[in-house]
Amino acid sequence: MNKIAMNKPSMGQNSAQHKQAFDEPLWWGLFSAGGVCFAILLPAVILFIAVLLPLGLLPAEELSYERASSLLFSVPGFLFVGAVVCLPLFHAAHRLRHGMFDISVGNDALNKKLMYGSAALLSLLALGVVVAGMLS
Amino acid sequence: MSTDQITAKRVSTDNTSANNISTNHTKTKHISVKRYLPDSSTETFWQEYDLPVDDSTSLLDALNHIKEQLDSTLSYRWSCRMAICGSCGVMVNGIPKLGCKTFLRDYEGDIRIEPLAHFPVQRDLVVDMAIFLEHLAAVKPYLIDDNPVKPYDPNAPETYRQTPEQLERYKQFANCINCGLCYSACPQFGLNQEFLGPAALTLAHRYNLDSRDSGKKERMAELNRHDGVWSCTFVGFCSKVCPKNVDPAAAVNQGKVEAAKHTLIALFKG
Repeated sequence: MNKIAMNKPSMGQNSAQHKQAFDEPLWWGLFSAGGVCFAILLPAVILFIAVLLPLGLLPAEELSYERASSLLFSVPGFLFVGAVVCLPLFHAAHRLRHGMFDISVGNDALNKKLMYGSAALLSLLALGVVVAGMLS
Repeated sequence: MSTDQITAKRVSTDNTSANNISTNHTKTKHISVKRYLPDSSTETFWQEYDLPVDDSTSLLDALNHIKEQLDSTLSYRWSCRMAICGSCGVMVNGIPKLGCKTFLRDYEGDIRIEPLAHFPVQRDLVVDMAIFLEHLAAVKPYLIDDNPVKPYDPNAPETYRQTPEQLERYKQFANCINCGLCYSACPQFGLNQEFLGPAALTLAHRYNLDSRDSGKKERMAELNRHDGVWSCTFVGFCSKVCPKNVDPAAAVNQGKVEAAKHTLIALFKG
């Protein structure tokens, strides 16, 4: 076995290759959490906001401006945005990153920064709007 | 079996109507084999063979028939004929299969045989599995015991003890025969040969789950790398092609949970 390993040029850079991937568990954790939210919460949100309300199957004042803003600009509203916007964003970013690797688009180190970076930016924006609404 | 019994069996076979013995219906099937003969050309080419098959003809039987009767230049690996040695893996119509466990009766029309995907081809259907063996060795797939073997005392022999429940935790993952079909099925291994891959990660998990083992820490350092569990994107084809139903995809993804725990613990311990 040693003989094979020593013939391989790639085995020379052991120290670089044995670097622990401390960031990957974080991305994977956000991806998993986002997947759960995507599967469980988003269909319900779409059903209420995008199907039942526009079809007039729910009373229109259910989501009137006053009611909607008081619901959203609160601690439960903050958690709602985290679960329905932020975590699914990281889920999608993870999928896009791996999808781009699969079809050999760009390089993974850059894609990683772009994907998770935009997910983080959009999450901050969404949560920022909620916080701003809570403070105003 | 005594002579009488053999005679009795023959008589009973003769008495059975031919309709009941479907295995004797031979017909001719056409198979194409991807050839690579580096001595004569750097190009691969397809070669066609017509051979007699019956319901019990495995792909390995067919290759043996070609080698013995039609074309002695064909190269391929095989040994046990019973899905234990893991040598006869080939691509059948683009799907990794064991030759001995694949029956030609299940194929209508084209049968295209190629060497296992994602490995360098040495000759015809023979591939170089060195990279797979390297990955396997890297995860230390053997029991690592903190207390090295004590001198054997015949009056008080010590054995490893394990309850059926402890055995059940890793038993499924212990059925791997190192045939490499999962590496041919894995698109991530196809893109990045440094990825440890399904079988190595599964065997690492198998030993991590073993109550007699204490080498988990050493293995986690290998698993928690970008080229360890984190290169897996849960395609799951490895588990579909596994001839021993090991379910590597489950093992690798349980390995992700373990690697995440390992990272958390490392963060808190500093």
